[in-house]
This record gives sequence, C-alpha cells and structure tokens, in this order.
Amino acid sequence: MVLCSVKDNRLARIWGLVAAQAARRGGRVEAGDVCAAALAAVEVTGAWLSAASGLQAGHLMQVTDEVSEQLAELQLTLGEGPSIDVAAFGGPALASDLAERESGRRWPAFAPAACQAGAGAVFAFPLAIGAIQAGVLGLYRDKPGRLSDVQLGDALLLADTATLLLLDAQAGQVDGVGEYDGHDGHDGHDGHDGLGGQQAELTRHRAEIDQATGMLTEQLDVGITEAFTRLRAYAYANDLRLADVARDIVARRLRLNPDPGLFRDGE
Amino acid sequence: MDGQLLSETFVELTDTMVADFDVIDFLQMLTDRSAQLLDVSAAGLLLADPRGELRVVAASSEAARLLELLQVQVGQGPCLDCFRSGRAVTATDLSTDPRWPRFAEAAAEAGLGAVQALPMRLREQVIGALNLFRAAPGDFDPVNVRVGQALADVATIGLLQERTMRRRDTLNEQLQAALNSRVVIEQAKGKLAERLGLDMDQAFNVLRDRARASNLRLSDLARGFIDGTQNITWPNSGPAA
Repeated sequence: MVLCSVKDNRLARIWGLVAAQAARRGGRVEAGDVCAAALAAVEVTGAWLSAASGLQAGHLMQVTDEVSEQLAELQLTLGEGPSIDVAAFGGPALASDLAERESGRRWPAFAPAACQAGAGAVFAFPLAIGAIQAGVLGLYRDKPGRLSDVQLGDALLLADTATLLLLDAQAGQVDGVGEYDGHDGHDGHDGHDGLGGQQAELTRHRAEIDQATGMLTEQLDVGITEAFTRLRAYAYANDLRLADVARDIVARRLRLNPDPGLFRDGE
Repeated sequence: MDGQLLSETFVELTDTMVADFDVIDFLQMLTDRSAQLLDVSAAGLLLADPRGELRVVAASSEAARLLELLQVQVGQGPCLDCFRSGRAVTATDLSTDPRWPRFAEAAAEAGLGAVQALPMRLREQVIGALNLFRAAPGDFDPVNVRVGQALADVATIGLLQERTMRRRDTLNEQLQAALNSRVVIEQAKGKLAERLGLDMDQAFNVLRDRARASNLRLSDLARGFIDGTQNITWPNSGPAA
C-alpha cells in the first residue's frame, strides 16, 4: 500500500535535517540533534532538550547556546516556566512575546528573567505520546514573534522525532529498536524500516498503536513507556510494521509474553 | 427530532463553553448528542493538526472513529472532501457511490450506508469537519442537516472563542493538549479492554460512565488509570452487554 502524502514529505524533510546534524557530528542520530535541526527548520535562535523520567525535574541533555542553557536552568531554579507547564499540561506552551502581560501573568518570575537573559519568545513542546513522557524540547527567539502555522507544524514534528529518539536512548538495552542510521525509513513504500518509518506509522495509525500499547501494560504487567518500547521492539525484531503488530494485538490475534530474560527494563 | 433533547443539548454545550473548558469533553459531548439527535447511527469529528493532517478528536462509537481514521489513512473520503472544500458533502448510498471506493468498502464492512459531512468553518477558515453516519442508505432529513450544521458551528465557535478571548497561541496549545489527551484515552481504552476483557467500544463506555459518575474529565481519569492512581473495575451493573 503506497501512501505518500504531503505530510510524509514534510516528515522526510525534518528527518533529513536531523540526520544531517548527526552526520556533521559524525555519529548516529540522537535526540540532541533535533535542537540543531530546529534552528534551521523553524527560525529560532536557540534550543534545549531535557529528558524526564516520571515526575522528576528534567535532566538537561542538549543546549545550542548559552542563553538556552540559562533558560533551562532558570526554570529549574524558579520552579516555573514553559518546560514545567508542558509536562503538567500535555500540550505546548507558546509565548510569542515574553514582555507582554500574558507572559508575565503566567510566569511572574521566569518571564522577566528570561527577557533579561536575552530571550524575546519561548516555545516549549512536551516530548510525549499520550501518558508516555520522555522530556521537553524548548526553543527561543531573541526577538518576540509567533511561530507561523508551518513553523508550528514543523516544530511539532521535530518534537515527535525527539520523543522517539529519547525513548530509544532510554531503552538502550532493548534489541533492535535503536538500530538505524538515520537514513532509512519514511520513503513511503515499505513499512518496517526503522524509526522514521515507525514515526510515519505512528501519526497515521495512531489509535491502534495507542490501544495496543495500553493492552500491553496489562499483558506484560509493565508501565506505559515500557509497553510502548516492547511493542516497537517486537515489530522491529520480527520485521513487521508497527501498525500491523498493533492491529493484531487489538484484534486479540497476538499476545506478547512477559520475558524478562529477553528484555531488560531501561529504567 | 426530540425538541427537548435539542434544547438540553444547546444548554449543555453553552454551559461547557462558559465553564472551565475542556476540548475533549466538549467535542465528545457534541458527537454523542449529534448521533442521538439527528437520526444517525454514529458521528465523528476531525480537526486539522498543524503537522499537516486531520486527526480524529471525538467519535460517538468505535465504528465511526475507525471510519474517520481510515479516511485519513487512505487519503480519500467525504470528510476529507468536506474539509478541503469547506462545503457539506453528502453520500446517500455509499454502495453505488463511485467517489471513494476504499472508504465505501470499509463503510459497508462497518454496516454504514450513508454519510453526511459538515464543515467546521468560520468565514475563510476551515478547522475540521463533523461527520454523520447512517446504517441505511437514503436522503438525510434537511431539518436534521441544518441542526447538524448548527452543532458543527457551535463546536467551531467553542474552539475559536479561545482564540479571540485570549491569544492565538492559546488555541494551538489547547488543540495539541486535546490531541495528546485523545492519545491518553486510547491508551486507557486498551488497558481497560485488556483488564476487563472488553472490546474498545465497551471500554470507552465504561471510561466515560466512570468519568461522569466521579465528575472527572475523561482525560484526567484516563491518565490516572494508566499511572495507577485511579482504579477501574467492573461497573456496578456487571459486564457490559
């Protein structure tokens, strides 16, 4: 089934940008590469990425400049700010003008401090898939200004990409899931083609994958994050499309068995 | 049409809009009431995501949700045409309609023979579509269609009021949070379906009934159920029929 949409091309472009950053570093694609890719893709001055485990405060993984680092740290120090809001709220926090009253009301301590640090606008995106929380992607502009609709869409796709990369890093020991080189996937004609392909499937076959993930928490007696990792690892290890595995689980044609010997919890 | 239910629906919808606004609860209520009021088997609602695709945000049944999803997946169908054109699209008999063969096939499998897609539009901007599915082929009652469009308009205004009353950014924040909540709800449906041996429709009904009974937002209950802070066992009435 060939399904090539505008959306796929857009996703392919985003993946190309992220992979180019990894190539420049000379390493495999990592979540942190999304930060550098964001600078070019959505015209922001800087970016940061923090990983979350549960309700713990974010662990700062990547910053593109000093201001980004300050913005990330300010939020930890002050206990308020867009990164903190998105983890609780599940949607992005978009502050196009940190000097305006709305921003000051929202973050009375963070907004003026961020302006002082050199930020005019801040946008934070949860790295989340439903109840699965992997971290936060933060972007800033040195001058105020909204993300255009296209830029917002691209920023959301970048956040989706970072989410999967971060989950992979957290589940490092799971066979297979992390095995890709950043150049595969998203070419639209073959489903079981690594992370890019899984991301494309995730947007298109969303609900079955989400339902299957929920079912696996019970079948395997694990948390939602690990259930998702197991689902993806199973698809990868058996050279199957994620959506097909999910559909079989939802239709109760397939059950996964707890097998602690085969999979180790990434914690 | 049930006049009493119609007035109750509008009261309920406007109540939701002036109170603490939850996009998912609001749109779920809208699809449920549309299905009850408009002499149709099911209703579903799609919204445009800035990522460049339509997303299913609410549906009155699993069959309707899957049919909405299918259109997004295969890139064809009345709801997509409606969204792209900003105009109502009607198919009174899908078995003979040549426009969307793959959609028609899936609709037949789901036991649905006719569809009416209504745009969610404010002036130039189309933000989504409300879709009504009926089992039997045949014309849609024009009065029902007008009321359906009014419900779609209320939904549009309900969402866009956020934009005018506050900042434009707020709508995008709310929409994304709603889309993520929808994912949480699907995850919770899966977990509940597996735990209690239910199908997805039954699981959703249990979740929805429990949310109403405990006066919780659907998405909050779903999140709590997944992280273990909310427990859901068999409803008092026993296994869902």
